[in-house]
Amino acid sequence: MTYQVLARKWRPKRFADLVGQEHVVRALSNALKESRLHHAYLLTGTRGVGKTTIARILAKSLNCETGTTAEPCGVCQACTQIDAGRFVDLLEIDAASNTGIDNIREVLENAQYTPTMGRFKVYIIDEVHMLSKSAFNAMLKTLEEPPAHVKFILATTDPQKVPVTVLSRCLQFSLRNMTPQQVAGHLAHVLDTEGVSFEAPALALLGRAAAGSMRDALSLLDQAIAYGVGDVREDGVRAMLGAVDQRYLFALLEALADADGARLMQEVEALVARGIGFDSALAELAMLLHQLALAQTVPDAIAADEPERDALFALALRLGAEDVQLYYQIALHGRRDLALAPDEHAGFSMTMLRMLAFHPAQGGAEVAPRAAAQNRPAPGAPQPAANLAPAAAAPSPARALLANIGGKSAVTPPAAAEPLPAAETEPEPAPAAALAVAPPAADTAPLPPADLAPWHEAPVAPSAAATAPMLAVSEEVDAADTVDDEMVELPAAGDADGELAEYALLQAEADATPAEPAVIAFDGDWSALIGQLGAKMGAARMLAQNAALKLWDGEVFHLAVPEAFRNMAGRDFQDKLRTVLGEHLGRAVQISVSIETLDVETPAMRDARFKREQLAEARLIMQNDKVVQQLVQEMGATLLAETIQPVQE
Amino acid sequence: MRYPWQASDWQRLAANFERLPNAWLLSGPAGIGKREFAQEVARSLLCEAPQADHHACGQCQACHWFAAGNHPDLRVLTPHGDDEEAEDGKEAKAPKRKLPVIKIDGVRNVIEFAHLSAHRGGRRVVIVEPAEALNPAAANALLKVLEEPPAEVVFLLVSDAPQRLLPTIKSRCRQFPLSLPSAAQALAWVNEQGVEDAEAELAFHGGMPLFEHDAAEAALRKQFVSGLTECSMGSVLSLADAVDKQKVALELPLRWLGKWLHDLAALRLGGAVRYFPAQQAAMQRLLPRLNIHALMDCQRELTALAPYGQHTLVTRLQLEALLMNYLKAFAGKPT
Repeated sequence: MTYQVLARKWRPKRFADLVGQEHVVRALSNALKESRLHHAYLLTGTRGVGKTTIARILAKSLNCETGTTAEPCGVCQACTQIDAGRFVDLLEIDAASNTGIDNIREVLENAQYTPTMGRFKVYIIDEVHMLSKSAFNAMLKTLEEPPAHVKFILATTDPQKVPVTVLSRCLQFSLRNMTPQQVAGHLAHVLDTEGVSFEAPALALLGRAAAGSMRDALSLLDQAIAYGVGDVREDGVRAMLGAVDQRYLFALLEALADADGARLMQEVEALVARGIGFDSALAELAMLLHQLALAQTVPDAIAADEPERDALFALALRLGAEDVQLYYQIALHGRRDLALAPDEHAGFSMTMLRMLAFHPAQGGAEVAPRAAAQNRPAPGAPQPAANLAPAAAAPSPARALLANIGGKSAVTPPAAAEPLPAAETEPEPAPAAALAVAPPAADTAPLPPADLAPWHEAPVAPSAAATAPMLAVSEEVDAADTVDDEMVELPAAGDADGELAEYALLQAEADATPAEPAVIAFDGDWSALIGQLGAKMGAARMLAQNAALKLWDGEVFHLAVPEAFRNMAGRDFQDKLRTVLGEHLGRAVQISVSIETLDVETPAMRDARFKREQLAEARLIMQNDKVVQQLVQEMGATLLAETIQPVQE
Repeated sequence: MRYPWQASDWQRLAANFERLPNAWLLSGPAGIGKREFAQEVARSLLCEAPQADHHACGQCQACHWFAAGNHPDLRVLTPHGDDEEAEDGKEAKAPKRKLPVIKIDGVRNVIEFAHLSAHRGGRRVVIVEPAEALNPAAANALLKVLEEPPAEVVFLLVSDAPQRLLPTIKSRCRQFPLSLPSAAQALAWVNEQGVEDAEAELAFHGGMPLFEHDAAEAALRKQFVSGLTECSMGSVLSLADAVDKQKVALELPLRWLGKWLHDLAALRLGGAVRYFPAQQAAMQRLLPRLNIHALMDCQRELTALAPYGQHTLVTRLQLEALLMNYLKAFAGKPT
C-alpha cells in the first residue's frame, strides 16, 4: 500500500469528524432526521473546507442501509462502497473536465431510471463552475423537478460563475473558512493519532499559513513532516514557510523609514537568499502596511495577541500616515507589475526602490517646485472667483478630495492643522499650531474663509499664485501664510503626473480622515463638521444633514429638525450621531433633538442652495459667453438653459 | 541529469520517497534547472531497480526507455505538446505575450492515461511543465485527478511562478522549492559552457546559470548599454535604429532597459548594482544629472509597454519614444 497524503487519509467519513461547518451540518442533520430533503444542494466555499467531503457524507446518509440518517453506519454495503468510491448509484462527476452539454446530457439521460441498489441516485457534480453555459441550461429542467429518487449535490469554489437560474433551484450552503485555532487543533489530533511528535507553536504557524483551508494545512503538515524528518518543530516550520515570517518585512520597512537605500537592498538580497517568493512577499508587505495604517488610525483594531504588536507600533510611529498609504499603493501596483518586470527580482527591488524614491527625505524638496511650476499654466476660463469664494461649501469628503487633487491639499483646515511629521522637510510646529487655532477665531463668520468652494476649484484649477490672494482675504494673515508655505512644500500636483497625483490623493485621503481622533476642538461650524464626518455616520448622516445646530455648550448638541424630517430624528440615528461625534471630539457628548420650524439653514438646505447658485452661475456664464452670443445672433441658435449643468470634476 | 547545485535538493527529496505525495510542486526562479530535476525525479520513480539512495540504476529496461524518451508510463504535459496550436481564443487580451498554454485536451488525455493501468506494472508519472501554462479550463480539469489520482500515479508540477497557479491546485500539491545555485557554482557552470565574458553574462541574468547564450544578442546588448551611458539625443536615436535593423523583438531591448533602469535606481538610492556591474563606473558618472522621479516615470512607461514585447508594434517608434523618456530623467540641472 502506497503512502496516502494526510489530506486524503484524513478526509472525514462522518459529520461528527468534520471540523467547523456546524451551521451546515446542523441544517443537513435536521433535514435528514425529519426527511425534509431538498433535491438539490449547492455547496460553496474556498479550497479545502469540506465541500466534496460533505457531499460524500450526505450521499452516505441518504443511502445507508440503516435508513436515511444523519449518522451513516459506515459498515453497511452502501457506506463501504461509497467510501471506496464504487457505489453504483453515486455518480461523482468532474464538471471541470466534462464541461460540455453532451456530457451533461449523457448523465441526465440516466436520471429517470430508478437506482440499482440504493435508495437514491445521488449526483455529485464537483467544480460545477466550469460547466459551459449550454450545459448549465441543459440541467435546468431536471434540476428543478427531478424524479423523486434523484438528489443533486453541486460543489464549487466559485459560485459567481454559476448562473442564477441554477442558484435559485438549489439550496445553497456556503462553508466557512476554518479559523487558525480550529486548524491547529485538528492538526494536533492528526499528529497524535499518526504518532508524530510536534510543538504546539509550530501548529499555530501552520494554522495561520493555511489561510482557512484544512487541505492546505494538511498539505503543509505533510511538507513539514518531510522537512523535519518525521518531526514537527517550530524552527523547522518557520524556515519552511518562509514568507509568513514578518521579521524580514519589518526589516525592510525599517530600512525604508530610515531612508537607508544600502540596507534596503541588503534586506532584499536577504529575502532572495531565503527563497521567499517575491509575490507573496509583496502581498505580505501590503498586509503589513494595512496593519500599520490600522495601528496609526484605529489602534484598538490590532488584536492584543498579535505576535508582532510592539514592533508594529514602533514602526507605526516612525512612518508618516500618508507614507504608509503611498507604500501600500506602490506595493499593490508592484505586485501587479511583477509579471511584466525583466525578472521577479528586478520587479521586487524596483518596487522597493520606488517606495524609497518617494520617501520624503528623497523626494519632498525635489518634487514640490516642480509641482508648483506645473500647476501654474492650468487651463480654464477665468471665472469670477472672488464673489464665490466667501460662499464656500461644506466640504464633503469626496469633494474635498477632488479639490485637493485640484491643487491644494493643504487648504482644508483639518488638513493644515494636521502635523505631517514625515512630509515636511523642515517641520514647523509653531505655525502649524497657530493654524490649528485659526478656525475658532473665524467663528463668527458662517464658514472658514480659507475653505474654497470645491466645485469652483476642481474644474478651473486656479494657479497657486491665484490662491494666495484669496487666502489673504481671510483675516488670519499668518495662518494663510502658513498654508501657503505648506502648499509649496507638499507635493500636491494637479498635473497628469500619476505618481505625484497619487501622492496628493493619498495625502488628501490621509487628511480627510484625521489620524488623531482626539485633538480636534469643535468650532461651532456644524456643516463643516458634518461634511468632515459624513462618511462615518452612515444613514445617520440624513439626520445630521437636515438638522440645524441651535446651541452648542461644550457638552450637548441642541439640534433642530424641521417637521418634514421628523421621521429621521429616530433614536438609532441619534445614537449613531452621538457615537460619531463623541469619537471625533474625543469625549462623550449629548444630543438633544427638537422638532420645530427653522429659521436657520440646515446643511442639506445649504447644499441645495449652493447647487442652485452654482447652476445659475453656470447659466449666466453660458449666456454671457461671446461665442454663444454670436451663435445666437448670427445663426439663430437657441440656448437650452435647462440642459446646462455645472461641471463637477 | 542533475546540476551540481541540486545535490542537497535531491537528498531532501529522496528522504521523502517513503511518504510519496500524489503531487509535487517544484518551484523556483527560471534558469535553475527545474525541468531537468523533475525529469530526474521521474526517472528514478520509474526505475525498476533503484539504488539505495533512490537514484535510477540506468541499466533496467525502464531506464533505457526513459533515456530513449519513450517510456510508456511517463506523460509530459507541456505547451509544445500539440504543434498545430493556433492562437488561443481564450486569451482575450490578444496582444498579451503569445504565451503558449496547456489546453484542456492535453489534460483530458492525461486523465485517461492516469486511469489506465501501467505498462510496466509500476508507477506512472505525469510531468506538467510549466504548470502556470495551464489555461483556466485545463487547470480546473486537472483538479479532481490531482487530488485523488489512482494508486501509483505521481504528478510532478514544475513552476516558475507558483503564485500564478490556482489556489485549488496549490492546495492539492506538496510544495518543494528548489534551492538556488551559489554564485561560485553558477559561475563555474557558465564557464564550463564556454560562454565568453561569463561573469558579466551571469550578472545580467541575475545569477541564474541556465540561459541561452547568443553571442550576437550579447554584442547588441553591449552596444545598447554603451548608448545608454552616452545619454544624448543622437546616441539614443542611433540606438533605436541599430536595434530595429537587427529585427529583434521589442521584448529584448525592453528587458535590457528595465534592468538598466533598475541598476540606475539601485545605485542612486542603494549604492549597489545587480545586472551591469561592469558599467558601474559609467553609471556613477550619470548619477549627478539623474532625476529619480523622472526615472520612475520612465520605468512606468516601460512596464506599460512590457505586455506588447512580442507584438508587431513598430519597434523603432516605441523604442524611440521610450528612450526620449529616458533622456528626460537626465534633463534637469545637475543637483
